[in-house]
Amino acid sequence: MPVESAALDDLFTATYEELRRLAARVRGRDPGETLNPTALVNEAYLKLAASLNMVPESRLHFKRIAARAMRQVLVEAARRRSAARRAGDYAAITFDDALDAPVTSADKLLALDFALKDLARLSPRQALMVEYRFFGGLDLAETAALLDVSESTLTRDWRAARAWLARELSGT
Amino acid sequence: MDAQRWERIQALFHQVLDVPPPERRAFLAARADSDEQIVDEVLALLAADARTSPVDRALGAVAGDVFENSTAPASVGPYRIIEKIGQGGMGEVYRARRDDLGSTAAIKILRDAWISPARRDRFAREQRTLAQLHHPNITTLYDADTLPDGTPYLIMEYVAGMPLTVHCRANRLIIPQRLRLFRDVCLAVQYAHHHAIIHRDLKPSNILVTADGVPKLLDFGISKRIESDAAADATRTALRLMTPAYAAPEQVRGDPAGTHTDVYALGVILYELLTDTLPFDFSRLTPQQADAVILEQDPIKPSVVARRSASAGAAFDGSREAAAEFGAISRAAWAELDVLCAAAMHKDARQRYHTVDALIRDLDHFLNGEPLDARAPTFVYRAGKFLRRHRASAATAAAVVLTIAALVTFYTTRLARARDAALAQVASTQRIQSFLLNLFEGGDEAFGPADTLRVISLVDRGLSEVRVLNTEPNVQASLSHTLGGIYQKLGQYERADSLLAAAFAQRQSLFGAGHPDVAQSQIALGLLRIDQARFDDAERLIRDGLQSAERLPASHPVKAHALWALGRVLQERGKYEEAITVLENAVRPIQDGPPSAEGVTALTELANTHFYAGNYEASDSLNRLVLPMVKQIYGERHPLVADIMINLGAIQFQAGRLQDAEAQYRPAVDIIQAFYGPWHPATAAGLTMLGRALVHQEQFDEARDTLLRSLAIQERVNGPSHPRVASILNELGNMALMQDDAAAAESYFQRTVAIYRSTFGETHYLLGIATANLASVYLRAQQYARAEQLFRDALRVYSASLPADHLDVGITRIKLGRALTRQQRYAEAEEHLRAGHDIVASQSDPGVSWLTAARDDLRRVYEGLNQPAKAAQWR
Repeated sequence: MPVESAALDDLFTATYEELRRLAARVRGRDPGETLNPTALVNEAYLKLAASLNMVPESRLHFKRIAARAMRQVLVEAARRRSAARRAGDYAAITFDDALDAPVTSADKLLALDFALKDLARLSPRQALMVEYRFFGGLDLAETAALLDVSESTLTRDWRAARAWLARELSGT
Repeated sequence: MDAQRWERIQALFHQVLDVPPPERRAFLAARADSDEQIVDEVLALLAADARTSPVDRALGAVAGDVFENSTAPASVGPYRIIEKIGQGGMGEVYRARRDDLGSTAAIKILRDAWISPARRDRFAREQRTLAQLHHPNITTLYDADTLPDGTPYLIMEYVAGMPLTVHCRANRLIIPQRLRLFRDVCLAVQYAHHHAIIHRDLKPSNILVTADGVPKLLDFGISKRIESDAAADATRTALRLMTPAYAAPEQVRGDPAGTHTDVYALGVILYELLTDTLPFDFSRLTPQQADAVILEQDPIKPSVVARRSASAGAAFDGSREAAAEFGAISRAAWAELDVLCAAAMHKDARQRYHTVDALIRDLDHFLNGEPLDARAPTFVYRAGKFLRRHRASAATAAAVVLTIAALVTFYTTRLARARDAALAQVASTQRIQSFLLNLFEGGDEAFGPADTLRVISLVDRGLSEVRVLNTEPNVQASLSHTLGGIYQKLGQYERADSLLAAAFAQRQSLFGAGHPDVAQSQIALGLLRIDQARFDDAERLIRDGLQSAERLPASHPVKAHALWALGRVLQERGKYEEAITVLENAVRPIQDGPPSAEGVTALTELANTHFYAGNYEASDSLNRLVLPMVKQIYGERHPLVADIMINLGAIQFQAGRLQDAEAQYRPAVDIIQAFYGPWHPATAAGLTMLGRALVHQEQFDEARDTLLRSLAIQERVNGPSHPRVASILNELGNMALMQDDAAAAESYFQRTVAIYRSTFGETHYLLGIATANLASVYLRAQQYARAEQLFRDALRVYSASLPADHLDVGITRIKLGRALTRQQRYAEAEEHLRAGHDIVASQSDPGVSWLTAARDDLRRVYEGLNQPAKAAQWR
């Protein structure tokens, strides 16, 4: 990740705050509405582009920042939730085959975040690719543009990366 | 592992993907460089490749509830919360104990997000009625209430057990045993249906089997209640179902669920019990792809799947069990099980078992060795074009719903008297309803001519079905009215006319004057007359309709509709100022609420009228205002969206920004054509606009093809003397002019003038334009006197229909000026050139070429008048 200038720092913070706000609003709004990163990122962009008077060089650049911000937002929320659960006054979730999956979303998210850090050590590009696509909702073309590789390379990379993650996280 | 190693592993992984599985180990070993571990690692990666990865699903699916804040209360009523036993889409479930009685219950606390404060009380009351379901296979609902903060909760029988499918696998039940369990489940569902309660969310995790082998159904009726409330709210997209695997095609479409929906889910469960797999694998698909699979893909027959796993089991681990089990059931019997499954899971609800009773009957037939009632389906009903995602409240659909509501009410009254038969009838009505509602869905496929006929024959079939069932006359009138509107939209004006007229006549005799339905019919006929270019009749009928609607309050939809229609016909007739006044009246009472279909229609019309009146800025702002509203209400690929885009394109076009215009027109045409098909007048209209933009960018070849296509459509639909035909001829003429083909241009424009004159009379501005265009041909051909004559005619027409400072007036005056200049009648020329120049220059974005032409001619004029000083001004 290149060194962020002060302006980019500001942008990141602003994006982070905005995504946090938006994401928290999602659940309260519509029960059928799930977290859609593309929509949230777009919404955040519109809001920030208007209010900040500071528009990054390109929309793509913003999306890159937003993807990172989104990941951070979610990981923080997951951490908070995990902690709350442990400290809470109801019993730890027991896994009964009868009902839903045992591992909470928070757990899965934290595991994914951790695995991605591992992946970044093996291949920074693949880790970024996952971050952009999964957390940022960027599509193949956008991701390829940001990472400066061809779409076919990216498709191969994706296949390997997702398999690697499936293996790493098969325990959860 | 380090980065280098990972590279190697990946390289090998990609290489070995194409190698057949049995040979992979050898292949890898050969390339491993005596690194045995790497072979294992690649194989492990390959195995993982076949599994679901956490990043396959959407972010929302993984992280959805991370922002949940809810924590469980310590106690609920007399119950003490012990532990959380699960989390579903709707809320959390806890095991709770009642210390005073020593009993255990399951308490489900519903998330706040689901139910608005206004609905909570109602929900609780409704749940109490559900508590009347008493059946050994349905978990009893003891009570429902709300917490002090208003959160609803349910107290249910606590069931410890395994999901149906897990139970069958864990206990290694053979198929006959599974079928008997399944039968018990069906009995429970049947019982609920007899109490007019649909489950809507049947799936194995909602069917727990206790240690004693008793299946119990959970969560009855909850989804149903909630969704019917949600549907009553303002427009929204269909709720995304949590378990697509069990979702019936009609649920995917957003149609109302019925008992047949539960039958479908039971079919899927049966499939699972027979094969230990699901009929479809959604693990790598997007939601839209999953929808498509549900709507269109047939599952592999259970017998085939079972045979495969039987032989697979035998081959791989020598297990004889699966093979024995498979063989224990005869081929013929497997064929019957295939039929059972297929009949329960049929994509067309009509060909499914209508009721769970029917499914149980056939199950019994099978278990007793008797022949089934269901027939093996020879094809899957595939009206693919109509099985599209439903968008709530399309305006046309809204109109349909209003009239069909009468039908449904009629049938649901019958329902109280004869349940089973009526259920079939309701299904049929719902089929008509969903067919009609589906008729104007956005879709990717075009209605070809053959398909259009099929649409019509289906519509006719719907109509005759209703007649056979002996409806009341006002219901028949509603249906005729609706069908007439549909034919109109399909461009079949004659049929539309007879249907609308029939509805009108029927309503008049039923209700007399002054009834909103009568007004509605008059307006509908008037609107049809507009399409038929019979404008006198149109205006008269619509004014009659407005008269009929007089006593209705201003906010009554029919009144708003009447005002809009009047605005429309006035606009079509070129009476713009009047139209604007009327439309502003139409918009006013609707403006304050959320975007509604009527509001949007009126606003759009107002935007159009401003456009035709030359108020381009007003038109542009209104169009831009309306576009997101239209998208919100109708969806992104609805033809109304295309209409707005065409408007915006037209404004760009007028401003001379041709590429921008084209950029609006192309996607608009795309939407229109996908929706209406290649032979529909709307497609022609879009193509004309696009063609025009291409002409002015001098892309003549593509322009010609586009325009000729459009011309062919319009001539076919409207006959050779329709204004829309004229409009295309006008464009072709312009193009010929630009290519200096004066003869062709003359012929095109002459036809155009003739058509406009006969349809609009002498005072419509389009006649003015056509005349001016024809004049331009003569101007180019240096026949200045003839040109002058026609330019003056054009200006005469304009003076009756356009404001004096309209752009077209300005341009024509400049051209007249040129014709006069060429005849050296400088004094006369000066007046028109100056006036024309000023008009054009005062536009917000004046076309430069006109101004240049005016300047050149003015210079010549002043030189001719011997006023060199003035001539110098115009250099």
